[in-house]
Amino acid sequence: MKAVVLAAGEGRRLKPLTNRRPKPMLPVAGKPLLEYVLDAIVDAGIDEVVFVVGYARDRIQTYFEDGDDWGVDLSYVVQEKQLGTAHAVAQAEAVVDGPFVVLNGDRMLEPSCITGVCDRLEADGGPVMAVTRSSDPGEYGVVELDDDRVVDIVEKPREAASDLINAGVYGFETDVFDAIRATDVDETGERQITDTLSTFVVDDHVRPVRYSGLWVDVSHLWDVTRVTGRVLDRVGGTHHGVVEPGARVAEQTYVGEGTRVDTNATVRPGCSLGENVSVGANAVLSNAVVLADAFIADGAVVRDAVVAENAFVGPNATIVGGESDVVVGGDLYTDVTLGAVVGDNASVGGGTTLRAGTVLGDDVDVEPGCTVSGTLPSGTTVRRG
Amino acid sequence: MCGIIGYVSNGERDEADGDDSDADGGSAAGATGATGGGRALPVLVDGLRNLEYRGYDSAGIALVGDDDVDVFKEQGVIDDLDLPESDPAWTGVGHTRWSTHGEPTDANAHPHVDCTGDVAVVHNGIIENYDALRDVLDEHEFTSETDTEVVPHLLEAELAARRETASDGGRIDDGTQFQPGAGTDVDLVSAVENVVDRLEGSYAIAVTVAGREEAVVARQDSPLVLGHGDGANFVASDVTAFVEHTRDVTYLEDGDVARVTADGIDIRNGGAQVERDVERIEWEAEAAEKGGYEHYMLKEIYEQPGALRQTLSGRVDEVAGDVDLDLDLPADYLEGVEEIQVVACGTSYHAGLYAGTLLEDLADVRVTVEVASEYDFGGGRNPWKTLVVAVTQSGETADTLSAMRKAAKAGARTLAVTNTVGSTAAREARDALYIRAGPEIGVAASKTFAAQVATLSMLTVYVGRRRGSLSSERASDLLENLRGLPGAVQQLLDEADRVADVAREYVDEDAYFFVGRQLGSAVAREGALKLKEIAYVHAEGFAAGELKHGTLALVTEDTPVLTVLTDGARPDETLNNVKEVESRGAPVIGLSSYEPASNYLDVEIPVPELGLLEPLVANVGLQLFAYHVANELGRSIDKPRNLAKSVTVE
Repeated sequence: MKAVVLAAGEGRRLKPLTNRRPKPMLPVAGKPLLEYVLDAIVDAGIDEVVFVVGYARDRIQTYFEDGDDWGVDLSYVVQEKQLGTAHAVAQAEAVVDGPFVVLNGDRMLEPSCITGVCDRLEADGGPVMAVTRSSDPGEYGVVELDDDRVVDIVEKPREAASDLINAGVYGFETDVFDAIRATDVDETGERQITDTLSTFVVDDHVRPVRYSGLWVDVSHLWDVTRVTGRVLDRVGGTHHGVVEPGARVAEQTYVGEGTRVDTNATVRPGCSLGENVSVGANAVLSNAVVLADAFIADGAVVRDAVVAENAFVGPNATIVGGESDVVVGGDLYTDVTLGAVVGDNASVGGGTTLRAGTVLGDDVDVEPGCTVSGTLPSGTTVRRG
Repeated sequence: MCGIIGYVSNGERDEADGDDSDADGGSAAGATGATGGGRALPVLVDGLRNLEYRGYDSAGIALVGDDDVDVFKEQGVIDDLDLPESDPAWTGVGHTRWSTHGEPTDANAHPHVDCTGDVAVVHNGIIENYDALRDVLDEHEFTSETDTEVVPHLLEAELAARRETASDGGRIDDGTQFQPGAGTDVDLVSAVENVVDRLEGSYAIAVTVAGREEAVVARQDSPLVLGHGDGANFVASDVTAFVEHTRDVTYLEDGDVARVTADGIDIRNGGAQVERDVERIEWEAEAAEKGGYEHYMLKEIYEQPGALRQTLSGRVDEVAGDVDLDLDLPADYLEGVEEIQVVACGTSYHAGLYAGTLLEDLADVRVTVEVASEYDFGGGRNPWKTLVVAVTQSGETADTLSAMRKAAKAGARTLAVTNTVGSTAAREARDALYIRAGPEIGVAASKTFAAQVATLSMLTVYVGRRRGSLSSERASDLLENLRGLPGAVQQLLDEADRVADVAREYVDEDAYFFVGRQLGSAVAREGALKLKEIAYVHAEGFAAGELKHGTLALVTEDTPVLTVLTDGARPDETLNNVKEVESRGAPVIGLSSYEPASNYLDVEIPVPELGLLEPLVANVGLQLFAYHVANELGRSIDKPRNLAKSVTVE
């Protein structure tokens, strides 16, 4: 049984974090989302895996290579243009020769979801779809069940007919590829797998697998810190790197290799620091996720924030933290906990204040002493007026 | 130079093994295919694939049977070799060739056999007196033009002489008991010892004889390493040949002759038994696979941020303004050093040039950087005040080892900067400093250049701080730059698509000139070398200031000029050279962090700010340029023609 993992998408809602890396490579407590998915696949007993990659695939390939570190036979299929989830699944046609499981590369879940789908697929044939309860079904594909059959799937309905959603784990037989070819493109010109499934639903053919374990999606920028905290709660902290005397790094944090936390710095529980990160003397990190190579200078205060790769947060800069309203892709989200997102290679000058909800694109340069709020596109420079 | 591999195993012997008289013929044939096949064939073939970067113009294997040795060898790569589906042998040797004596032909490929066909030999190195030896062997029939072929014939003569003595009631074999075959009544090890005594030159050889479940190997000036398995043992030029089977290795030393059987290994040197350490290989074997990339080289280019984090991890302390390198160079020795000589070849030489400028600037010490093949210790230097730093990725480069040995012989202290733990350079030098880049399979160096420069930068801080010539402030500056290196390299890699477009635009030109100053000139040379190596186009790298003294005559609108305009590379002066070539119509591609240059560049690829390491970051752009030009031209990027990795001949 092969597992096909869809990891080609751009993850637009998570810009600027996805400007240079695909969403599945967003790190949570030191591991990319995709690695959690792979771990679950391995624990479910599957050792042949295909990654469908596309956007920024070098990040995935450099990290996972041939899968030897995870004991799997890993191969790659490239989706050159992102034309929908069905199109992504179709890329795997040449490399699967029997029933197979499909998963999203950016949703954390437990192995039991995968084994459930595999077992059902082997017993009753496909297609099989995992469903789970959600507290916010309107954000996903809502599923209506009638006993043991899926009767309807509706993407992001305004009024959800049930609390059950499509968990994003499918079991297919090879006949799905013909069905994909027969699926109509949607209004954006893409082919979606849920539309393909709908063609099977009509014939009462889609079999649900009810799943009630851990199911975590990082859909928004403010989910990164929240999910990191939850994972650290569950698995505990890991410390590599160097912590200078006087610095206090809570146990329930992740500290990557080569990272250095200077004297009297404070890193509170729930924080995660990638590889080669520098945290200066007296800096304070609270509910913060810092990616590789970033530099937090002396005295900086970083709260409820994500600092991306190679970014610079200057001496005594303050990311205030707390709740605010944030606009993402034209939608307004109110009262979300997001101090700031500092994009890759961006630079926040010393003494600067970032108000809650600030999102700085990559390569943004904020000169010292400014006060910033709102969303700034990549490459912007901010000067004191 | 070539790659050799040997494998001896006791394996499970299936009753259906090649036995035609089996009752159920059908399933016996099936059984032979699956379980009746010996392991030698698949293990050797896999091992040779991993060794192919050492040489790939021909390949061959020899499988040892009870009465004979089956040899399969051909010109071409291992995957094109005409091999049986399976073979019952559990013992064999293999070879992948980079031709030195004799063209790549089927006849010249290894393994070479003697007149009886019972002795098979594979060899890496050069036997310098092969002509004289052929004269002595005038009764033997030679089928190739190689130097190697004398070895099996010498052995044949030696074994024949001993068999005569044995049947006269002479010597007793002290080996294991097994089925009779050619030569079981003779001590193969001492026969080989006698043969290698007559050889002059360099060799790593592996010998097998029909009917004997053993391989005898010998090493002199060519790398040879043993692998200790479970019920099987390995020998090869390089650990990558068998690291997926075992991580317990022993590096042989010059003069060693070892007998490898399935159950154990005995090593002799100078006729006496010796013990050699067993080491455990720590680096990850799977780094030697392409992982979704079209070429190892591209994968290795993209690996640079991760590799550099590894190179730096745990060694840099910006707060103290110092480095922790696990080196033993005493401060008072360093204070007294009058000169540092850096010896290296190829890309490592360019890393040396980069280091030389840094050392002179920051550590205030006189540095000369020399091409290893030209090196001699002299010029009135005081050997006890000269530190000789040998830079060699593999640790086996013959020219560099030779230079290091000359220095040591003259009395100078040596330091090896290398990627390979346990390599000859690491073991022979007084101290070793590892660049920790992980294995590099692409023949043209990419990540190891970056790791070498990063390591040599750390060495600069080490030397400067201990000499008292480098202030903690300037040291901290460089160390901060080092810490920012992985992120800056990643930024360049994120521009890869753009560089690929530029490469496509300028793929079909007459020649390419790479110019820079100071640290930029080291990088310019390296950029040109990369393009030459993998794209096979004419490229030349040199100091920008030299353009007007000659090379400018070649500059036209069909000769793009690539240049480094960053810190550490005198961009203001280089800009003048840019204007010189622009006025001759040449398109200029600039790797730049220098704003005033923008207007003069046809293509500008931005380099993030990183002080004296900016030229190193700029080099990543040149690597990508070379790669994409080569790719457009359809070149065999991982195995460039006429080249091999780790050149172990002089």
